[in-house]
Amino acid sequence: MEKIANFFKTFLLVELVKGMALTGRHFFARKITVQFPEEKTPQGFRFRGLHALRRYANDEERCIGCKLCEAVCPALAIHIETEERTDGTRRTTRYDIDLVKCIFCGLCEEACPVDAIVETRILEYHGEKRSDLYYTKPMLLAVGEKHEEQIAKDKALDAKYR
Amino acid sequence: MINIEIDGKHIEIESGCSVIDAADRLGIYIPRFCYHKKLSIAANCRMCLVQIEKAPKPLPACATPVAEGMKIFTASEQAVKAQKGVMEFLLINHPLDCPICDQGGECELQDLAVGYGGSTSRYNEEKRVVLHKDIGPLVAAEEMSRCINCTRCVRFGIEIGGAMELGQAFRGEHAEIMAFMSDTVDSELSGNMIDLCPVGALTSKPFRYSARTWELSRRKSISPHDSLGSNLAVQVKNNHVMRVLPIENEAVNECWLSDKDRFSYEGLNSAERLTKPMVKQNGKWLEVEWQVALEYVANGLRQIARETGAEYIGALATPHSTLEELYLLQKLVRGLGSNNVDFRLRQSDFSADSKQAGAPWLGMAVADINNVDRFLLVGSFLRKDHPLLASRVRQATKKGAQVNLIHAADDDLLMPLTNKKIVPPTEMTTVLAQVLKALAIVKQATLDTSVQQVVQSVMPSASAQAMADSLASGERVAILLGNFAQQHPQASQLQLLAQHIAALCGAKFGFFGEAANSVGGYLAQAVPFAGAEHGMNASAMLAAPRKAYILLNVEAELDTQNPQQAISAMNAADMVVALSAYKHHAAEYADVLLPIAPFTETSGTFVSSEGRTQSFKGTVQPLGEARPAWKVLRVLGNMLNISGFDYNNSEAVRDEVLGGADMSAKLGNVLHGMSAQTAIWNVAGLQRVSDVPIYTTDAIVRRAASLQKTRDAATPRALMHSVELKKLNLQSGEMVKLTQGHGSARLSIIADDSLPHGIVRVAAGHAATAELGAMFGDIMVNRA
Repeated sequence: MEKIANFFKTFLLVELVKGMALTGRHFFARKITVQFPEEKTPQGFRFRGLHALRRYANDEERCIGCKLCEAVCPALAIHIETEERTDGTRRTTRYDIDLVKCIFCGLCEEACPVDAIVETRILEYHGEKRSDLYYTKPMLLAVGEKHEEQIAKDKALDAKYR
Repeated sequence: MINIEIDGKHIEIESGCSVIDAADRLGIYIPRFCYHKKLSIAANCRMCLVQIEKAPKPLPACATPVAEGMKIFTASEQAVKAQKGVMEFLLINHPLDCPICDQGGECELQDLAVGYGGSTSRYNEEKRVVLHKDIGPLVAAEEMSRCINCTRCVRFGIEIGGAMELGQAFRGEHAEIMAFMSDTVDSELSGNMIDLCPVGALTSKPFRYSARTWELSRRKSISPHDSLGSNLAVQVKNNHVMRVLPIENEAVNECWLSDKDRFSYEGLNSAERLTKPMVKQNGKWLEVEWQVALEYVANGLRQIARETGAEYIGALATPHSTLEELYLLQKLVRGLGSNNVDFRLRQSDFSADSKQAGAPWLGMAVADINNVDRFLLVGSFLRKDHPLLASRVRQATKKGAQVNLIHAADDDLLMPLTNKKIVPPTEMTTVLAQVLKALAIVKQATLDTSVQQVVQSVMPSASAQAMADSLASGERVAILLGNFAQQHPQASQLQLLAQHIAALCGAKFGFFGEAANSVGGYLAQAVPFAGAEHGMNASAMLAAPRKAYILLNVEAELDTQNPQQAISAMNAADMVVALSAYKHHAAEYADVLLPIAPFTETSGTFVSSEGRTQSFKGTVQPLGEARPAWKVLRVLGNMLNISGFDYNNSEAVRDEVLGGADMSAKLGNVLHGMSAQTAIWNVAGLQRVSDVPIYTTDAIVRRAASLQKTRDAATPRALMHSVELKKLNLQSGEMVKLTQGHGSARLSIIADDSLPHGIVRVAAGHAATAELGAMFGDIMVNRA
């Protein structure tokens, strides 16, 4: 029985018709192409883009230098040095993320006990040299300051799942 | 022996053992906080609750002795429920600030909370707050809210440290740990409380917030400070020593470490480190290449040997140098044709040289100290010079040992002393002779002719008689001579008398030993009498200045018996080569500074006072252009065309020094061919008595910033009996000018009635007293 079916398929071009039907369906469907960068695709609030270091509302930096992000980072992209600040708290003297190494897994964000290191929705950044993608503490804090509103909103949306 | 069963496993164990001991021996872990094998049982954390058959309630494993046929379940439903409940209670008041806590990652509470606790807390009320305390520069008690009141630190203070410096005050929820004796914890063993603390309540102040525990790699090393040879775990990050912890070795340091060993690492990272070879030209220091510096040294030494004779070359080393360094130094000097090499820089009596059976050592194993039942300690600032050996003596007194002390100062040893005789150094031999005489009478023994004359001339005092009775009544007696006795101007007399006392009561007899390699120095032949011809000893080399000096790790004004003499000898010399890890005072008198590596940056060997040979490897790379001293000396040997300097590694040097020979054959305290003399040195006026304060003993600790902030490192003060003060019409606390020879020091003078009359106690080894002369001898006191 199967042999007979195969025999007819050899000259009736059933596959061709099926393929053309699929093409035809998409030809008349609504287009989803986005004209990047003028247009943008929607992003979830958990989007993992460029990193940022956040501050509290009173301008105090959140990071307490616990180095959990450094320890958890599977790509060894984070480098932290700490010292005791004059007020007796531990603060970072260095907080570097090598974005060339980073795999944007988001584990640093997960590990952070004070929501200091976060991944923002920013994906449009670039570097002309490798060293441009080596983000230091002031750079990360600057990102955080610029986008704090968005970050806070996203964190609030995520909070109920935690 | 008793048969018990834990989790279905049988074990036969001696009665009196606790359940937790039995479980540990079986390899079954029972969670615990307050229990520590070296401390008494408190049973106050309740974490070790286990189920025991026929017991109605779970029982604490640490405080429950085993009984015949006992069946214990450590993981039964009842036990697990109890442990989980206890953990929940412990966490009620714990701040759970692990991310900012220095203990995070090595915290017992953190580990056990994961293993035995619940995943969430039901507690939503306010937590207890305990105020932070400042208890000194070494131990941080900044977050006492973390304390779970296990009282390990309190028990450590009482039982091991000898004083209850921390205690628990108030009750119930208000209970808190605080300093009891003064505001601070000043024990020389205080750092162990950091290790003992199962949470982050007591942490290390110097290490505070500088690294997290998981970033550190752990490397083995040996302490270069006191003669015990503590086993260290040097923790390293990015080629930088971050902290030092003990490695457990029951025969040496048990699980403890003295603060000197623990915190001296700060000196390794000091800004004073010498990182480039330097040569002085026309009074200016120039940084040069190694090749240039070494050629300069080789040419200089060759020239002096040719022009004035090799005997005008002298070499001095500290006993903190490694066996390999000391051996190569003496080989170099002897290769040049001189025998002037010595490492006993603070010794003043060398008459025992070559009359001794071997290298002076402890005369017994360190671990045996705990079992001694009668001690005679002669001339020792035991607690400051040998903190952990003092702790072992203290343990022995807990078991009923009697301690007899003959010394020139009455520092609190924090242990009960059965008899003590505090006399001026001039009378110490007399007291020993009295004890010897009294003992000979008690034992009805005839004395050797070498001591008979001295003994005949004395009458035993009541205290000498009491000491003799105490020693005669013991079974395991030890007669131990301290650093003070070794530095004493009649050291060999003290040794001889002690030797005869030991012979009479069948005692072990030995020396505590000043530094990590005090025994090793003899084995490395870094003494003037080791060769066929005898050279000059450390004291003679400085008294009769040489043309050239090679200094290994030496700071002439701090490490020697007579700093005044040492400095003038250095200034008079044509060439002074200083091999040092630090830039220091040598810049004024030296001609060449060669940067060498301290113990963490080189491989080497220390031979501890009990004759234990412990080799170690470098833990980090040498800083800058510093190089291990054995390599520097090896290259110098090659440059000077001395044969036998072709070592590939330090192990080859060590093997050449020690060979395969039996260590016990090389050690010996017995003096031959010496007779005791009654003569004491001329006493005119006030006599100086010197101790070397605990944190000024060697170059590394002198630069350890936190140790230098402790009370033990405070600027030395002159101490004197109040009667003597009155004679000089001085008030306690006044500034005085102390004069010895042509140098003087200005210190405040304090009345101390525990000192004998006619004595001024002034610390040596400190910059404030570096202008003074010999550690023993005449001293003048005037109002400043």
